[in-house]
Amino acid sequence: MTSNHLWFLIPEAILLVGVVFTAITGLVRSTSIRQSTPVIAAIFVVASGVASVFVFSPDHLDTTAFLMPALGRWVGVITAAVGLVLILNSIGRVDRRLEQAIAAGRLRFDPLRAGRGEYYAFMLLSLAGLMLVCTANDLIWLFLALELTSLPTYVLVAMSRTNRLAQEAAMKYFFLGAMSAAIFLYGFALLYAATGTIEFDRMRYELQSQAANGGLGALAIGGLLLSLFGIGYKLAAAPLHLYAADVYEGASAPVTAFLGFVPKAAGVLAIMVLLVATGLSELMSSLPYPILIMLWVVAVLTMTLGNIGALLQRSVKRMLAYSSIAHSGYLLIGIIAGPGLGYTAVLFYLLAYGVGNTAAFSVLSSLERRGEELTSLEDLAGLRQRHPLMASVLAISSGSLLGFPPLLGFWGKLLLFIAGIQTGHLVLVIIAAVNSAISGWYYLKLVAVPIMASPTARSESVERGPSNWPRFAGVIMVIACLVLPVFLGWLVAESRDSARTAQAVRADSAQAEADAVQPSDDSGLFTALPPLKTALQSPAKR
Amino acid sequence: MILSSIIQRIVLATVESGGLAQPETEPVISSDVVVATHHWWAGFILYLPLISLILCGLCAAMKVKSKLPAWITTVCLLGSFVLSLLLYFDYGGSPELIPLLSWINLADPGGNFSGLSANFTFYIDSLSLLWIMFVTGLGTLITFYASEYMESDLGKGYTRFFAGVSVFLFAMVALVLADNLLMLYLGWEGVGFASYWLIGYYYQRPAAVAAAKKAFIMNRIGDLGLALAIYLIWTTFGTIQYDELMDVIQSGSWKESYDGWTIDAIPWFLMLAAFGKSAQIPLYVWLPDAMEGPTPVSALIHAATMVTAGIYLVARTYEFFLLSPESLHVVAWVGGVTALLAATIGLAQHDIKRIMAYSTVSQLGYMFLGLGVLSTYGAAYHVFTHAFFKAVLFLTCGAIMHGFAGQLDLRKLSGLIRIPGWRITSIAMLIGCLALAGFPLTSGYFSKDAILAEAFITQGPGFEALGWMAIFTAFLTAYYTFRVWFRVCAGKVEYEPGDEHHGDDDHGHHSEAFHPHAPRFAMNFVMAVIAIGALAASVPYFMDTKADEALAGGWVADMVHDSTAQGGLPGLDRHGQSMGDIVEHGHAGHQGEGDHAHPTLFGMDVHTAMYVISGVVGGLGLLLAAWLHLFRRQDADRLKAFLQRHWWIAWLPRAMEHKWYVDEIYQGLIRAPLWIASHLMYAFDRFLIDGLLVDGIARIPRMVARWFQPLHNGIVQSYAVTMAGGVALIALLMILFLQFWKIGGGG
Repeated sequence: MTSNHLWFLIPEAILLVGVVFTAITGLVRSTSIRQSTPVIAAIFVVASGVASVFVFSPDHLDTTAFLMPALGRWVGVITAAVGLVLILNSIGRVDRRLEQAIAAGRLRFDPLRAGRGEYYAFMLLSLAGLMLVCTANDLIWLFLALELTSLPTYVLVAMSRTNRLAQEAAMKYFFLGAMSAAIFLYGFALLYAATGTIEFDRMRYELQSQAANGGLGALAIGGLLLSLFGIGYKLAAAPLHLYAADVYEGASAPVTAFLGFVPKAAGVLAIMVLLVATGLSELMSSLPYPILIMLWVVAVLTMTLGNIGALLQRSVKRMLAYSSIAHSGYLLIGIIAGPGLGYTAVLFYLLAYGVGNTAAFSVLSSLERRGEELTSLEDLAGLRQRHPLMASVLAISSGSLLGFPPLLGFWGKLLLFIAGIQTGHLVLVIIAAVNSAISGWYYLKLVAVPIMASPTARSESVERGPSNWPRFAGVIMVIACLVLPVFLGWLVAESRDSARTAQAVRADSAQAEADAVQPSDDSGLFTALPPLKTALQSPAKR
Repeated sequence: MILSSIIQRIVLATVESGGLAQPETEPVISSDVVVATHHWWAGFILYLPLISLILCGLCAAMKVKSKLPAWITTVCLLGSFVLSLLLYFDYGGSPELIPLLSWINLADPGGNFSGLSANFTFYIDSLSLLWIMFVTGLGTLITFYASEYMESDLGKGYTRFFAGVSVFLFAMVALVLADNLLMLYLGWEGVGFASYWLIGYYYQRPAAVAAAKKAFIMNRIGDLGLALAIYLIWTTFGTIQYDELMDVIQSGSWKESYDGWTIDAIPWFLMLAAFGKSAQIPLYVWLPDAMEGPTPVSALIHAATMVTAGIYLVARTYEFFLLSPESLHVVAWVGGVTALLAATIGLAQHDIKRIMAYSTVSQLGYMFLGLGVLSTYGAAYHVFTHAFFKAVLFLTCGAIMHGFAGQLDLRKLSGLIRIPGWRITSIAMLIGCLALAGFPLTSGYFSKDAILAEAFITQGPGFEALGWMAIFTAFLTAYYTFRVWFRVCAGKVEYEPGDEHHGDDDHGHHSEAFHPHAPRFAMNFVMAVIAIGALAASVPYFMDTKADEALAGGWVADMVHDSTAQGGLPGLDRHGQSMGDIVEHGHAGHQGEGDHAHPTLFGMDVHTAMYVISGVVGGLGLLLAAWLHLFRRQDADRLKAFLQRHWWIAWLPRAMEHKWYVDEIYQGLIRAPLWIASHLMYAFDRFLIDGLLVDGIARIPRMVARWFQPLHNGIVQSYAVTMAGGVALIALLMILFLQFWKIGGGG
């Protein structure tokens, strides 16, 4: 590791400093400082997002150290943006009983019983793990980054609620997570055995020479298969999806939102990094058949099982849990489509999905019934009449997740589908489209029940939650769903830039030098006009 | 069919392009279209209404109780107007593109077509300049008028009103300046939404809510047409950008992949869209009801600007109509019949605002007639003059409504010109009426002539009959217009207030205690300015043209020249054979202009004859109105009694008063069957689809789930076994497959 590499870890370092701060402020005796913990966490998250923009600026791209040199910028920014919302969602929930008791004078503050510091510290740690996945350049790093993402979430699930369900969920999540780690670690070991190295650069070289000399050995393929399966656990991809519904239901809504985005993003990025690392997707016209078919089967199983599971749920959280499984399936289409458009679509979809999903969970976080979270769909009946803002947030975010045309989610799905079709996976895309139609059944329920159904006795007693921050977060995310499509050209260009592999970056810069005289015509399938400044100076390319 | 061709196109496009390859072909830029990045500031024509909307939103959030929102909106729109003027004076004479923001770019480097590109870019040509100038200009003035008109709603709905106006202007500017059909579509939907918002402004009133819904639904039908038209245009021509469309059509390259039916379908769908937005048969019924909105809205949206979007659409996509000439005949006939029908309804109404609404429908009919008979410049000119005179008519109606507590019945108002403070209103209304009636030398006179004359010149099925019908309509127009003016403004002073309470007024219903409050500065100023505009709108007819050939119609013909609508301009040599037969035959008379072949009417040149005929017809209508409604009002009652006494004629006034029972017919023919069908469908869905199919299918996963129940029992060990088993199974299969694959020698 060079000192240069350290430069790229500045965003993560900022988060780690934030971890220390929040862990301390959560234990301070003064109530006001204690309550400012989420604010501090939010500040550090924003700072790391801003830092990643500068750290991964085009001037600093290092094509030798990283497989996907510019990935950190996009991931850093969306991690910060979504992470900020995830933190806001949690405000008012953590240690609620304890704080109430202290405020009422029934208890004195006892650091041993306070969970606030750990809660936010663990969130930041997990976010740092997600960012670290992007900069991985060997197997150990990748493994550590993935586990840094996951380990804090086990604790978050356990401490998110005080009832038995959460404990049970955490236990299941932890044990199964450990098993999946074992699976992909075994896969890594086999890869090591097949290539004799853990460094991606050399592994790539080894595998390429193997592929040139009569194909990959069973060891390499098997290692890769097991690695992908194991990482699939983070995505809740079939067949390792079984935990998702139980765990998501057991955890509190803000933590469920967290689980729905952070480990999933880490998993998808890890798969991307691994596939680029093995060099398979770039070298051959497509992935080796066993890998391709395995991903194909997993994608179809994942989206179908997720959607069918969601169809009949009456519990909103379970429904969203299953639907997030389905989204993993859609994401795998982009993975199958490979570098270039496929990864572009994956990165864009992560943004669209993150925004839509956290907005939906913001609604669940901002409402409560008799001090408990909303559980069933009946609780939402007629929500419009008493909480019109939250009802519209839920409606718009569901629309976006469903892929309703002007909203952000639509463009995400469009990109994925086009990527799939372009690489010749028409059947897969058709299956995904059918699944998408099936998902209309339950997403539209989330629109119709709050808006059109008449309130029931249960839903009459739904009140605002302890804090207004989740409401705020939900509204911001929904505005993003509505406004970001206007800047589609720019967003797609950014995600395309970030999804480039090191080779592509080198090729691009060589091309740019060659074209230095005349402005380069970088229109792939998706072109974005250059930023406004250049658009005004140079003739528009049309 | 459509869907499959789209999918096919995408597949072809994507397979051929092979990843993120660099496109090898240069993007086609039409030779005479220039990219004018130095006009970047034109973007603010669009942004200013948006800024105004945001500021109005802030005002609403801060509960502003003053007139601040009105001033914000007026200033922003004035800015837009000034920029539009600057753009006009800086316009070089050939179409320009002003890129603002990149949006969708699905390039298709391998194929013949350039994929799907839709950016936020302005397409500036004479047509869009004409539209943008009167849209922003009238928008500014009417907003200023509304600052006074809406003051009784201060604090309550005031901000909402101006926010709605800002939304409207934003969408309208996007519609007019768009360089592609998708952006036009967004603007199209946007103005529909703004119209819904503002018609339903008095949402406490059930009639207003119903009218808003009706307008929205009728417009949705049209929007469906537009959406389908855009799909078809894209699949047929491979692009939705105007400049590329013009190129593709003129070069004929689209014919290579043409499958034979879309060319004839596109104009029909476009027509559906235009008829919905511009209130033509069969979708016109929403416009009269839209008068439930505040009067400035009626003046701006439902008279001057939004309803002309349909005309704009047809003018913009005129090339498609020329490719399928029959569609233009339909446009002409629908326009002509709508003009007549609406005029007859207007004859029998008593509510002056409704009369104006029907006259709007009727005048829009004229414009479509103009488009249909290849007189795009006439249509555009009529849009231009109509915007002024109809706006002033609505604004004066609004002033009367405002002053007389909502009274709009012409039987209960009389002699306004003699009431102090109402002189400007009356004179402004007189000017508007003269122009609408086509009184000689007013703006409406020239613009209507441009359309009528062309109806006699262009050859088409029954166009001559259509021309005579339009002349008869002109007579009716003159009559019902002056019926309003003579009743309301002339005669002896008599009035009865309406039953509308103004929040800040303390007077009651009784006419003894009632004092009409005359319009003050803002309203008077705006009415005067627009009235002068309505007079001055005849000047462009005589202004010099920039074009090399002498064009009848002066400045406005120049506005259409060089635009997408130039196909309908007389005296110009049309390009190539891609135009339909109608152009070649239709404009035969114009080909040898100045020679011998010019068609004549009564031994005169058609234009000259039309000046005489429509002058006479307008005068006759005016005199009839003067007789029945000014000098001998009792004769009008006697005539009515006479009509009603005789059974063979009594149905006529009754049917006209009931708007030919069109609403009732729609109710019976469309709504009731739909209602029944929807209930049948509901039952079908409920019992068959839901009960049998969905629940049946849904039972399958549950059954499957039950097989796996032992595995999915919430016990962590069995989860682990399932997961590990699944992984092992698939992994083993893949390894086996690997062996097979290696033997097969693939890869």
